[in-house]
Amino acid sequence: MQSIATRKKPSRAHILTAVIIAAVYALVFAAEQLLPASSMLFIVLKKGATYALVAVSMNLLNGFTGIFSLGQAGFMLLGAYTFAIFTIPEESREIVYQYYNGGLIRFALPVIPALVLSGLVAALFAFLVGLPVLKLKSDYLAIATLGFAEIIRAIFQWDKLGAITNGSNMLHQFPSFSSFNIRNAQGEVVVYLSTLVPFVIAGVCIALIVLLINSTYGRALKAIRDDETAAEAMGVNLFHHKQLAFCISSFFAGIGGAMLAMYACTVQAKSFTSAMTYEILLIVVLGGVGSITGSCLSAFLFVACSEWWLRFLDNTYTIGSFQVPLLRNGFRLVVFSVIIMVVVLFFRKGIMGERELLDLLRGRKGKEAAK
Amino acid sequence: MKKLLAILLVLCMVIPAAALGEEVVKIGVYEPATGDSGAGGKQEMLGMQYANELFPTVKMGDTEYKVELVYADNGSSSDKAPSAAQKLVSENVSVVLGSYGSSVSNAGKPYFGEAGIPAIGVTCTNPSVTAGNTHYFRICFLDPFQGTVLANYATEKLGATIAYCLGELGNDYDTGLIYNFKQAFEKNGGMVVDEYFQTGNTDFTSYLTNASMYGAQVIFAPCSLAYAALICSAAGAQGVTTPILGSDTWDSNVVVDAAAGQNITIYVSTFYQEGGSPEFDAGFKAWINSDSVHLANNNGNDMISAVSAMGYDAYMVALEALKAAGSKDPKAVNAALWDVKYDGVTGAIAFDETGDAIRDVAFIKHLDTANSAWELAAVQGKD
Repeated sequence: MQSIATRKKPSRAHILTAVIIAAVYALVFAAEQLLPASSMLFIVLKKGATYALVAVSMNLLNGFTGIFSLGQAGFMLLGAYTFAIFTIPEESREIVYQYYNGGLIRFALPVIPALVLSGLVAALFAFLVGLPVLKLKSDYLAIATLGFAEIIRAIFQWDKLGAITNGSNMLHQFPSFSSFNIRNAQGEVVVYLSTLVPFVIAGVCIALIVLLINSTYGRALKAIRDDETAAEAMGVNLFHHKQLAFCISSFFAGIGGAMLAMYACTVQAKSFTSAMTYEILLIVVLGGVGSITGSCLSAFLFVACSEWWLRFLDNTYTIGSFQVPLLRNGFRLVVFSVIIMVVVLFFRKGIMGERELLDLLRGRKGKEAAK
Repeated sequence: MKKLLAILLVLCMVIPAAALGEEVVKIGVYEPATGDSGAGGKQEMLGMQYANELFPTVKMGDTEYKVELVYADNGSSSDKAPSAAQKLVSENVSVVLGSYGSSVSNAGKPYFGEAGIPAIGVTCTNPSVTAGNTHYFRICFLDPFQGTVLANYATEKLGATIAYCLGELGNDYDTGLIYNFKQAFEKNGGMVVDEYFQTGNTDFTSYLTNASMYGAQVIFAPCSLAYAALICSAAGAQGVTTPILGSDTWDSNVVVDAAAGQNITIYVSTFYQEGGSPEFDAGFKAWINSDSVHLANNNGNDMISAVSAMGYDAYMVALEALKAAGSKDPKAVNAALWDVKYDGVTGAIAFDETGDAIRDVAFIKHLDTANSAWELAAVQGKD
């Protein structure tokens, strides 16, 4: 997609892309300092950043390597639990592990090492699962990974492991995004960072994925997606490359899971259902399979619609003596489903198709390049 | 066309706000309306809505404030809960009521805490909700209490020595109660066998067969309403005569319908027994029947669920706190809540030093399957 010449000397489109991304970060930082902390905007941005990372990691598999995996929720669960288990402060363990005498682990790691560890644990499991599962193709692979996610959930709920996983009970009291806010001695927040931090974590991870996709490995992955036989004939080791993509995708899904834990302040295996995988798959499809920009955009749109903009549909309104019909608690989900069906039926390529922000800025040349 | 639609939508939101010239105090309703606990959450909300209709204003200082309920659906799921909590925070509510279910309460807790808004848990029975913080209160009893009460009832009144416990894997409510039941029952000299089923399970015949195989004299199944109904039908079909003990979730007309006409024995522990306050019962039933939406939210009939009575009491406690605080500042309400004392329909309510209601009795009800009605079996204390 990129010639060597353009890489040496950044083009106008490259600079514009960098400026847009920097502007987004600056805006997030400024908004957090200026707007009241109670605004719904921040909750949406935090969850959006988390989902953007997970969606991009899923896109790496489904969109760029052509592996149809549905195990995302399982890897997120691994990441979320690893993060929570290793960061609960020692003094809170008695309350959290109330039925297991404070649990087995009696120390707490700092946040960043715990984040990396949660990615590594997810990647390790992906490696082990990948050994048998990646020999399968298309639908069979999807079913096997879906099954894996369900099994992981059941194992984490097993009460014999309760001293580590807390069994069916939730883990809480670990650091959340708001612990990143800088406070003064009186406990008042001086600088708000709770929204910027998830953006930075997600941004770094997504940048790494972009670098991978634009490398030789990335081109090999795309070759596998387009035609496995041709790729193999060209000397691409199929299993090795699929295993690589699977582990890397799971690594970032694990970090995404840890971010979701920080966002929700609680972790419980119960919430990592296959429905969560479908939500992420939906984000990928809405954004465009094979477009990282699309996954990011649709993650924010999806979260904003489901958690914020459509909430007004849950309230009843009366204008004069006329009560607006149909509006009542839960109606938002009906409208939301209809919107999704319309998008999937009439805009099959999603928001971005296979294009990236860069292609848009390049104008027509970019469109041709994308073809 | 688009513009017109947008303007209309904006007007929809602006008009109700503009129409109210008077002073308004907002109470947040943090309850599930969708998801697994949707049915229970709706019944709890009914109690609050009824109370709001009876007492739509509160006098704080010299001004009469109109009380407005602000709803946020937490979707019964802890990953959907933060945005619901934040919605209430961004609406500047003075106090929050809810939720049905402890895990969503825990998920919303830090968001309320950060904004300094106090919350009153209605039927979240897990000890971790109020532990280690100063802004979450609750008006119901706790799992250790409920588990012990039921275990004592099983040994003393039912004369059981072998109990079979059945819960949903991964549900902290089920496992917590079974844990506490087991502790107390074994202390009484009994033996407990516990088993867990997978989420979404619909066939309980094998579990009930296991229960009789172990020679259980009582079956304790503190699970969600959907499973409770399935267990009742399975027990009826299999002719299980062993008494089945349920927890507060079982106290619902869903169970009554499922068990109607079957030859099974069901006992449940609960917060309120119909008839405890005839005035509330009559008023609430008339109110439910007056509106088809209310009726639908109450599973189609006018039987009173304990959670509705608890929802009513929670609203009244919130009003008392607002009166005592004399302002709608959440921090003042939080400070005032510690000393609130209120005689509710479910009994006297006062808070201890962790913010839990001081409750020393639970109602044990027996289901009369022939007439589809609950009858009071015992008022059981912990000892």
